[in-house]
Amino acid sequence: MKRPTTWIVRVDLSTGVVERTPVEDALNRTYLGGCGVGWRLMADALAPGIDPLSPENVICINPGVLVGTLTPGTPKTTVITKFATIASDDGKHFIGACTTGGRYLGIALKRAGCHHLLITGKAPRPSYLRICDQSIELVDASDYWGRGIEDVTIDLVEREGPESGTIVIGTSGENLVRQALTIVDRTNSLGRGGLGAIMGAKNLKAIVVNGTGDVEVADSEAFIRASEAMRDAVMQWPRREHWIDLGLAAGWDTFKHTQYPGIWPKERWDELYGEKTRMETVEDVIGCNSCILGCRLRWQTKGGEFDGEVGFGSPFSKSATSGMLLGIEDFRKMIHFVADANSRTGIDFYTTTRMIDFVTKMYEIGRLTKEQTGGLELSRTYETYQKLYELTVNREGFGAVLADGWMRLKRDFGLDPQEYWYAGICKGVDFIYDARPSSLHPLMMTFTTRPRPHHGGSHTRTNSRNKTIEEIREQVERWGLLKETIDRIFTESDYSGKFNVGRYTRYMEDMMRVKNAVGLCTIYTYQGLLFGDDIARLYTAASGHEMTALGMAQAGERISNLAKVLNVREGFSRVDDAIPEVWFRPMESPEGRIEMEDYYHTKVLTKQDTDRILDDYYEERGWDLQTGQPTASRLEGLGLKEFVAEATS
Amino acid sequence: MRNIETAELPGTLFVQAQNCRGCRSCQLACSFAKHGVFNPGKSMIVLERNLADDRTAPMIKPIGCDLCGGDPACAKACKYGAILYEAGPGRQKIVVRLLGKEGS
Repeated sequence: MKRPTTWIVRVDLSTGVVERTPVEDALNRTYLGGCGVGWRLMADALAPGIDPLSPENVICINPGVLVGTLTPGTPKTTVITKFATIASDDGKHFIGACTTGGRYLGIALKRAGCHHLLITGKAPRPSYLRICDQSIELVDASDYWGRGIEDVTIDLVEREGPESGTIVIGTSGENLVRQALTIVDRTNSLGRGGLGAIMGAKNLKAIVVNGTGDVEVADSEAFIRASEAMRDAVMQWPRREHWIDLGLAAGWDTFKHTQYPGIWPKERWDELYGEKTRMETVEDVIGCNSCILGCRLRWQTKGGEFDGEVGFGSPFSKSATSGMLLGIEDFRKMIHFVADANSRTGIDFYTTTRMIDFVTKMYEIGRLTKEQTGGLELSRTYETYQKLYELTVNREGFGAVLADGWMRLKRDFGLDPQEYWYAGICKGVDFIYDARPSSLHPLMMTFTTRPRPHHGGSHTRTNSRNKTIEEIREQVERWGLLKETIDRIFTESDYSGKFNVGRYTRYMEDMMRVKNAVGLCTIYTYQGLLFGDDIARLYTAASGHEMTALGMAQAGERISNLAKVLNVREGFSRVDDAIPEVWFRPMESPEGRIEMEDYYHTKVLTKQDTDRILDDYYEERGWDLQTGQPTASRLEGLGLKEFVAEATS
Repeated sequence: MRNIETAELPGTLFVQAQNCRGCRSCQLACSFAKHGVFNPGKSMIVLERNLADDRTAPMIKPIGCDLCGGDPACAKACKYGAILYEAGPGRQKIVVRLLGKEGS
């Protein structure tokens, strides 16, 4: 049994120098490979305190260990970088990980032998990075600069071949808009928090990857046996047929309760944005590589002023919440925003529409003046929203303020993002869900405790409403956690309900690190289709490193701690993990008052309750309760002794 | 490897292109069955990509495919019904019928 060799590829855009080194076996064993190893490389590669938009920032791209093999669904590539979002009053930036699937990118990276692609420096002129096996070069992209994502992607694929994996930025990334993201393979978004701006600052319009090499596994027979059994098991999922018909458009019946912004009656929302609008817009479902539960959508608008508009990804959840927030009744108008963001500008739809919601309301009540907007009159109309969107994308006039995100609004105009009325904000990032209609389920906790406040592969059984305690428990047990750990998680309390969300969140994050390291899509764990022991079996056969589910969870803990260390050295501590204030303000809706409750909706949670939940999270991590930072003993226990000084000074 | 020009093949592969979701499981399964590695470039299947709508369609190379001796890995791996296999002893060659939206 031969362990596959994995490679670190370093590209300096300033000098054009490319370096290729094999990953040491011990590093793969300790950090699992994929983004686990990526985090360890970033600990050395990323100097503390640098400006994320400077040439010193590093973009570290890691396809998962199982990517490019035949599994039920492991398409994920994880990118680690220092994000552009301004995360605090004193101007800190978090170092985080974002993930993407896709049909082409992950496989192409693996076939090209780019298991960890580290990009530094700044290209002398607008360029794209062209990778074809070991040939890596910067290609002039001046004719692409200023053009939209879709347009450039099609051109690149025509030029470089149909199996090209692509990461492309839009005009907002070029203009260094801090909420600019990237689009992968036309169908998947990557990098909320400003990956697009980071590429833009490096003069990097796109990354195009092709490879011809083999993706090998250490024990072929054991691997294919395990994988095929798992594929057959996933096929037995009773909801599969419905799921692959509707993909990400499925689930309105849950969504309308858990993501309700509380302005229209639910019945009205149903009529305007419900299942029917989804059914008439979805064309096809697209699968990421190796996935048998395809969920990305190809959709087309029918009727109205945007008749015939087509797009990829999923426009529905985003357009429905922001549509209600902005008071836009025609769903096609909101889908148009999503389409334009995905295909042309690459701006983050959530952040942009919510900031527009915030400033237009503040203008209406006199908290923001015409003088402050640079002479621009703001109203609650679609025309104004379009204007603000364009100004932000282009960093023009008042748009230049919006292009710096929520914290700039606070600094310049005293508009505190904690005043915003939906979802909540932490570390400068607005969440996509709100804990009042959703309840304080563990994913909501990870939004505040993770270095980068976004889900990024965290989902577990607890993302669905009303799962039984047995279902939640089974998932944790199959990660092989010790009995006393499980007992602690499932101890009922008067502040967290039937299970302890703080303690659970710790393990949920560690599992996320594992899933991202191997490249497993979180849909499979969210729906309870694959478990920790399944992942360990596949990982062992593929990597040749004998690993139990518990061993993987422990490696996940190591990766979580290292990620935290990198953020501690940027100055992050417990105050930055603050629970958003809006969660404590009851939502007064036409459906009645909606307050933040525990998972099983047995009680309303107070600030004292969430403080105790947060205490439990840090305690379960073995971190300092006051600072929320790793302790020397925990780091030493995880083999991270070399980081003790910088994490605890 | 069998000489597919003359070998008596055990069945027929049907491609239903409109069911393809682009997941590439067929390519991965084929290269693994043939070569013990995962490599779409070594598989007997080319996934055509139409950039107008980004739909994909598997095209099976007629030369070199021996239907895995009667249990084709691609058809087993395709969970969307884009590649189907029908056993039928006595057939002389692979018949790939493209049953796209327009039919054939």
